[in-house]
Amino acid sequence: METFGLLMNGFATAMQPTNLLFAVMGCLMGTVIGVLPGVGPAAGTAMLIPVTFVLDPTPAIIMLAAIYYGAMYGGTITSVLVNVPGEAASAITCIEGYEMAKRGRAGAALSIAAIGSFIGGNVATIGLVVLALPLTTLALKFGPPEFFALMVMGLSLVTGLASKSMVRALMAAIFGLMIAMVGIDPVMGAPRFSFGMTELLSGFNFVPVVMGLFGISEIFANAENPIGEIFETKLSSLVISVKDLKTSFWPIVRGTFIGFFLGLIPGVGAVVPTFISYVAEKKTSKYPEKFGTGMIEGVAGPETANNAYANAAMIPLFTLGIPGSPTIAILMGAFMMNGLIPGPFLFKEHAEFVWAVIASMYIGNLILLVLNLPLIPLWVALLKMPYSVLFAIILGFCVLGSYSIDSSVFDIGVMLAFGAIGYILKKLDFPLAPICLTLILGPLMERGLRQSLEISRGDFTIFFTRPISAGLLAISAIFVLGATFQMVGKVRGSDTQV
Amino acid sequence: MKRPYQITAVVFILFSAFIVREAMELKFYTSLGPGPGFFPFWLAVLLAILSVMMLYNATFKDAGPMPADFWASKVGYIRMAAIFLAISAAVFLMELIGFRITMLAFYLFMLFALGRQNLIVTALVSLAGSWGVFQVFTELLKVPLPIGIFGI
Repeated sequence: METFGLLMNGFATAMQPTNLLFAVMGCLMGTVIGVLPGVGPAAGTAMLIPVTFVLDPTPAIIMLAAIYYGAMYGGTITSVLVNVPGEAASAITCIEGYEMAKRGRAGAALSIAAIGSFIGGNVATIGLVVLALPLTTLALKFGPPEFFALMVMGLSLVTGLASKSMVRALMAAIFGLMIAMVGIDPVMGAPRFSFGMTELLSGFNFVPVVMGLFGISEIFANAENPIGEIFETKLSSLVISVKDLKTSFWPIVRGTFIGFFLGLIPGVGAVVPTFISYVAEKKTSKYPEKFGTGMIEGVAGPETANNAYANAAMIPLFTLGIPGSPTIAILMGAFMMNGLIPGPFLFKEHAEFVWAVIASMYIGNLILLVLNLPLIPLWVALLKMPYSVLFAIILGFCVLGSYSIDSSVFDIGVMLAFGAIGYILKKLDFPLAPICLTLILGPLMERGLRQSLEISRGDFTIFFTRPISAGLLAISAIFVLGATFQMVGKVRGSDTQV
Repeated sequence: MKRPYQITAVVFILFSAFIVREAMELKFYTSLGPGPGFFPFWLAVLLAILSVMMLYNATFKDAGPMPADFWASKVGYIRMAAIFLAISAAVFLMELIGFRITMLAFYLFMLFALGRQNLIVTALVSLAGSWGVFQVFTELLKVPLPIGIFGI
């Protein structure tokens, strides 16, 4: 009952005209980011952070959250109509969605994606409402050892799932932690690895680093092999038949559950739920042999899972302060820039803000459903822009975005340097998500570790004598060892990866 | 992928060695517990161990074939160099000659380097990305952008 009252207050705040306007703007901007290849949700959200500088924290976060889930939906449009996924999570939609479009059923594919996304997103948000208070109550019992163990668990999941090679994934995670070490030491205040440069005293700003790793590196890769001619299909009527709705019912139900439960696990990433959902639909279908020829279940399931994941991934962020994906890490950074620390205290100290953002997620899902379908011709027209113009504009916004964070040209240089590093690491098949997550979590992890050891006077058994931290560390160990042995099995087989 | 992985592993080993050396100059342990050098030291040691594993695997096991698209075409590298050059120039020029002139030159150069467009498109994109963005950010969003020695 208490939750319901808080949520209603949240709706009252989220429905204020200013907040509603920024939710609409966020949905539109997010859809543009999702539609455009070459700028994923992480880089896109980071790029648009300066736009929210003038705003109060509530509309700023409402807008950035809307950009995030708008981008997750936007990628679908290009997957269906031009066979180019705007972002990685929509890649699986190309298989059935584009086939449907070639058969003149693009409208049905986009409509079912919108309906599924709406249902998946809303169910996941209900989950957030239901789980928020119990999880935060539990998290309030956490001390530094438990938080450290929780972050270790999140990182072990990220590294375990991020790459074909555990070694490369761990190296990426440690590299990210090392970048996070630059600047003032979080416990004693001593400068580290700043090499006498005043710009480095406050550490690397995460926004230019993420824009470099995910935005500039992607543009380098596209400049290397620019996308060629696109076969564009025609958009049919957006009205969906009753038969299609019936066929899509169970895929939407399954997609919702898959996306929701995977969203609760930090580090799974947005791509995994969509692939699992697609495989689940193929396995449960009476006609698995027809998959690949334009089966609506192959769009409904993954697209629902995609949005259910996007909304459910907010649960670990809001309740525990653990970001599960690079884009959520950007949101976490935006919270911090507004003086808000995600985690259990957020619900206690800024209840009005946090429930307004949660309520805005329902509204945002509705906005996406109502607004985006009629605007599809506009998004397609946007894609007809020559790639040279598109990439020049994206680059310009990257320069502008990284400069305006701290009004520093040094940050533009940081973005460029990390763009080059990201490009090289991608070529070498290193996953980039662990770098981004550890960059955000690094100072929190270090603080957790050092405060724990201060409590125990240097005794490391503190992590194993407290039941919650011991349990979390055991899960991490099982996961890392499991992933490593799986890797060893693969190495012994034909597919050898370093 | 044998040689690229070997080179990468060696680079990471050298990087780890550098971090270990730097971390040792910081306080490793204090009366209150671990000092500022503690975490970076152990991270560098872990990275070094993983890099040695990577080097071993690349040298003594099958590291897999090099993907066909591992190296870009000559045109691709020229485009990447152009992007690198344009952003580097922005770093050095933005505070000297101001946001508007820098970004005007940036867009003109990028649109020329990434694929020539007709003059009207080039002019519109360049002006919108420099003068237009300056107006929106400084006037509407109240985000300060640099004004250079020419007062623009």
